[in-house]
Amino acid sequence: MSGYRLDKGGRIDRAVPLSFRFDGQDFRGFAGDTLASALVAGGQMLFGRSFKYRRPRGLLATGVEEPNALVTVDRGPGRVTPNLRAPSVALHDGLIAQSQNRYPSLKTDFGAINDRLGALFPAGFYNKTFMWPRSAWEKLYEPAIRKMAGLGESPKERDPDHYGATYAHCELLVIGAGPAGIAAAMDAAATGGRVILIDEQEEPGGGALADPAQWAWLAESLAKLAALGVTVFSRTTAIGHYHQNFVVAVERLTDHLAPSQAAGPREKLWRIRAGEVVLAQGAIERPLVFDGNDVPGVMLASAGRALALRFGVAVGRAVVVMASHDSGWRDALAMAEAGVTIAAIVDVRPAVSSDLQAAADALGIAVYLNHSVTGVKGRLEVKAITLCHNDDYLAHTLPCDALLMAGGWTPTVHLWSHARGTLKWDAAFGAYLPDTTVENLRAVGGCSGNWNYGDGIVVATLPSPKPVSKQKAFVDFQNDVKARDIALAVQEGFRSIEHIKRYTTNGMATDQGKTSNLNGLQIASETLSKPVTAIGLTTFRPPYTPQTFGALMGHHKDALFQPLRKTVIDDWAAANGAVFENVAQWRRARYFPQGRESMDAAVARECLATRERVGMFDASTLGKIEVVGPDAAEFLNRLYTNPWKALEPGRCRYGLLLNEQGFIIDDGVAGRMAADRFHVTTTTGGAARVLGMMEDYLQTEWPDLNVWLTSTTEQWAVIAVQGPKAREVIAPLVEGIDLSPEAFPHMAVREGAICDVPTRLFRVSFTGELGFEVNVPAEHGRMVWEAIHAAGQEHGIVAYGTETMHVLRAEKGFIIIGQDTDGTVTPDDAGMNWAIGKKKPDFVGKRSLARADLVREGRKQLVGLLTRDPAVVLEEGAQIVVDPAEPVPMTMIGHVTSSYHSAALGRSIALAVVAGGRARMGQTLHVPMPGGAIAAEVVSTVFYDAEGSRLDV
Amino acid sequence: MLLIHCPYCEEDRPEVEFVNGGQAHIARPADPSSESDADWEKYLYIRRNPRGRHHERWRHIHGCGRFFNAVRDTVSDRFETTYKAGEPAK
Amino acid sequence: MSETVAADLVLLDQPFTAPGVRIAIAPAMMRYALRARDPAVLSAVIGRVLPSRIGDVVDGIACLGPDEWLALLPAGTVLENETGQLVSVVDVSCRAVGITVEGPGAVALVATGCPLDVERMAVGRATRTVFETVEIVLWRKAVDAFHIDVWRSFAPWLGAALVAGSPS
Ligand SMILES: [Zn+2]
Repeated sequence: MSGYRLDKGGRIDRAVPLSFRFDGQDFRGFAGDTLASALVAGGQMLFGRSFKYRRPRGLLATGVEEPNALVTVDRGPGRVTPNLRAPSVALHDGLIAQSQNRYPSLKTDFGAINDRLGALFPAGFYNKTFMWPRSAWEKLYEPAIRKMAGLGESPKERDPDHYGATYAHCELLVIGAGPAGIAAAMDAAATGGRVILIDEQEEPGGGALADPAQWAWLAESLAKLAALGVTVFSRTTAIGHYHQNFVVAVERLTDHLAPSQAAGPREKLWRIRAGEVVLAQGAIERPLVFDGNDVPGVMLASAGRALALRFGVAVGRAVVVMASHDSGWRDALAMAEAGVTIAAIVDVRPAVSSDLQAAADALGIAVYLNHSVTGVKGRLEVKAITLCHNDDYLAHTLPCDALLMAGGWTPTVHLWSHARGTLKWDAAFGAYLPDTTVENLRAVGGCSGNWNYGDGIVVATLPSPKPVSKQKAFVDFQNDVKARDIALAVQEGFRSIEHIKRYTTNGMATDQGKTSNLNGLQIASETLSKPVTAIGLTTFRPPYTPQTFGALMGHHKDALFQPLRKTVIDDWAAANGAVFENVAQWRRARYFPQGRESMDAAVARECLATRERVGMFDASTLGKIEVVGPDAAEFLNRLYTNPWKALEPGRCRYGLLLNEQGFIIDDGVAGRMAADRFHVTTTTGGAARVLGMMEDYLQTEWPDLNVWLTSTTEQWAVIAVQGPKAREVIAPLVEGIDLSPEAFPHMAVREGAICDVPTRLFRVSFTGELGFEVNVPAEHGRMVWEAIHAAGQEHGIVAYGTETMHVLRAEKGFIIIGQDTDGTVTPDDAGMNWAIGKKKPDFVGKRSLARADLVREGRKQLVGLLTRDPAVVLEEGAQIVVDPAEPVPMTMIGHVTSSYHSAALGRSIALAVVAGGRARMGQTLHVPMPGGAIAAEVVSTVFYDAEGSRLDV
Repeated sequence: MLLIHCPYCEEDRPEVEFVNGGQAHIARPADPSSESDADWEKYLYIRRNPRGRHHERWRHIHGCGRFFNAVRDTVSDRFETTYKAGEPAK
Repeated sequence: MSETVAADLVLLDQPFTAPGVRIAIAPAMMRYALRARDPAVLSAVIGRVLPSRIGDVVDGIACLGPDEWLALLPAGTVLENETGQLVSVVDVSCRAVGITVEGPGAVALVATGCPLDVERMAVGRATRTVFETVEIVLWRKAVDAFHIDVWRSFAPWLGAALVAGSPS
């Protein structure tokens, strides 16, 4: 209970009191407080338990570097956010927050036994201990560790909030609205151009917010910036710098408001492209490393200062400052002037400037030079400290209730590092500073090292009579890494900071080592007796601070997650009870159950109706490309395996497309509409890929060809009408096309009208039945579909979906690209050498078909499989073996690619790729499954109407 | 996200409008049937993976639609230059 | 809209307005994809003047690439299309849907998902680009008015994304 509210001072609005709850207990604060400042004002010094040892932890900092004070904020159902840093949580009335990592309560935590057993948890403990036996890892170690470790609990309810996103462009982006950032924005604004200034805090000002002497200047400057048209965003964190000054920032829009006041998106993702970026992110104070430096009430001096001067809160009634740097003295003096009782200033240095000494004397503050804190008494809060003289270790105890550390400053070079700017070691600063960059980027103020923090020295660990190995001297508070862990890692042979970091986990917590990296480096350097620059430096990665998934998703949530493409007939399918499946980005009707029909029953009915009478199918998702120009036939001839030049206008051909490696990648029917115009179709999923491949060859290999490509996928709605009654169904609707078999044979295309709208009518079949594919401009697709459906009623027409389409084509042995092929199947493998133009000197992939591996014996070939038991439908993807009695691992010679129950045949059928498959005709193979191996005979891929008599009617 | 100068549009445009097309200046042999297996393998599969200057193809697929060539430093990701398809390597 | 799934998205059936913006489906129009190596030949075939610089628009015909134009013409406008010419004229009227975004907030709304510097896009220019993951043709018809052409099946998503990005 050491913290309390000062009578006056700070930027808080004492006229607006706020109440809130922390761990079920009521607290009071003021507008302008953060959760951290209000809790400290309420005497709460214990904020959480540490990750590994469950040690009691308090607030360390008042900025984003805070490693300890992680809380869960509850804004109602679905709006529970764990792992928020208490100093970054703006206080609002009714705020509800909980501490984390404790069971059953913050003060009494069972896991704290880990701390007593601390000697058993050295660096690399997890790596070394929990490796064997393997079964124990899954059953024992992992569940136990998971229960003990981890930070806050992941939310389980759906997040009801929505999130915004935008792009923005400016000539200058300034990151950080402290004095240096404001000055940079001011300079640029005066010369014109768009300037954006962003800052992560609740209000702009940065370090000036903890310095009342600068408040008048701050207010004046912000007014000037507004007048100059500078866009200023607070609560906006630049989380990453990417190529060519592309900066991603997250703006928090509503979390600072009471839930009842929040409207609109919760957060907004800013994707900013800037001509120039100025980094003005300031610097982070470094903790000192000594035994007991993590007891609640041990904080950074800068935090003590901000609490007193910005929030009007004293961290204790008797505050000691432990400094290796002048800034600790200045903070102590400023706090004393604000009414905080400074019991003593301890400095590891033998001497400091006479000004500081005199100022401390004037305020009556006890000063201990050449001394170090070597111990902290108290477990849940600071009760006293032990001081030692650095030379003779003469110790004495000093009662106090807060201890502030001033270990010098680490410039915030995270974004500089993201931009792959180089860093140079500055011995005087004891830190890495920005050096060179290829971006139009510069650092100003504290983060460039250009800031008068005063003098200081860098110490790895404070002098102590106790060896480091016996101290609980923490370097990384969030990951519970002690100085001795780093020393141990070095002793065990780790030399590079990248390895030391991974072995000890120093700097690997959610704070990315904002307060620990440099201390870790110094300790490794000292242990190895090598300069810091020889140890290396870890790389900072985005995001600068942890972010919500919502912010990163932006618009892409729920219905907007990704586009779901629907055909113009989709509405009809939905209204008629279709069950859908997604194919590429498209939603397609899979089958149309009648009443309570199962999928199997529906598909069997749809299949039989199509084979016996007529079925209709929405094939609009097929890719379509209009290939136009005098060289259109030549172009297709070079691209597809088939010959195209002799194809007469009005006729169609099945085209097989290989990649240059000789493997099948797409197929489809193309119709020659005129000498210089083809209507080419592709698979649904291959539409964009095939068009891209065509453009590639056209633009880069054959730019001499006069031919152009236009995607017409969405121009045409396509209705397949298939079955013996197909002609009778469409005949009354079609005008200007002679549908007779003589005038309009299989694999022909005609232009005319259907239902008074223009059509490209293809006589094609993917079912083996008499079939037509009606292409009409998409705007008429629904009308024509309904007209065909109505006209088909007297013929018993059914609408069928993709599942029936799959069964019907499998009965005919027609392949589906990507199902029966997988990018390693050649035309010969698929039994499709008939599709290769034998006289063609070249086509894409031809040369590869002669490569040794593609002509070798024993390649997997597409075959049919008939199970011995006709009722058994094989599992697609199941492996195939010759000898089911062979011990595991068995010799697998192929797998099932397609498998269905065929209603027309009254039994199951399957397609499979099998090594040397065509030579195995009649052989019985086996498909091992959990219930036993299934015997199946190798047969032809054509199961139905092998002679093709049903087509030619 | 990179900014890429399209030599056809003559503008710097955002990377999301482009697709990468792999190593540049690998011409399809005029008569593949006369290529030896070894040469054909080189054409199909053998690619450079340089540290530093790299000639590569890009397509302004969501812009002018054109394929073009670029010299990009694979270490810094900086584009040294971009130029139209058919122009000699830079 | 938290429980809305993508399948529920439908094309805007009436204009949507929010402070500073109005989003509407453009009336049906004729669209032609025009290609030619030599613009003069194409110009002669269709009997129209063609813009020569990528991004320029003349009388509803936008130059999208060095050999590519997109004609966005009033419904009923038919372009000549003889066979045997060194050009490609393809009717793609139904391929796309037009969405208009108008008002003082139009620039900011388009910028929610378009990575171009929309603010600096000159009035009268058109280009193919993207809105998030969806390809569009963006045509700035006035300081505060855009026509966005998008393939038909992506239009419900794009319309919903624009509505979601509108100021509340
Ligand atoms: Zn371009």
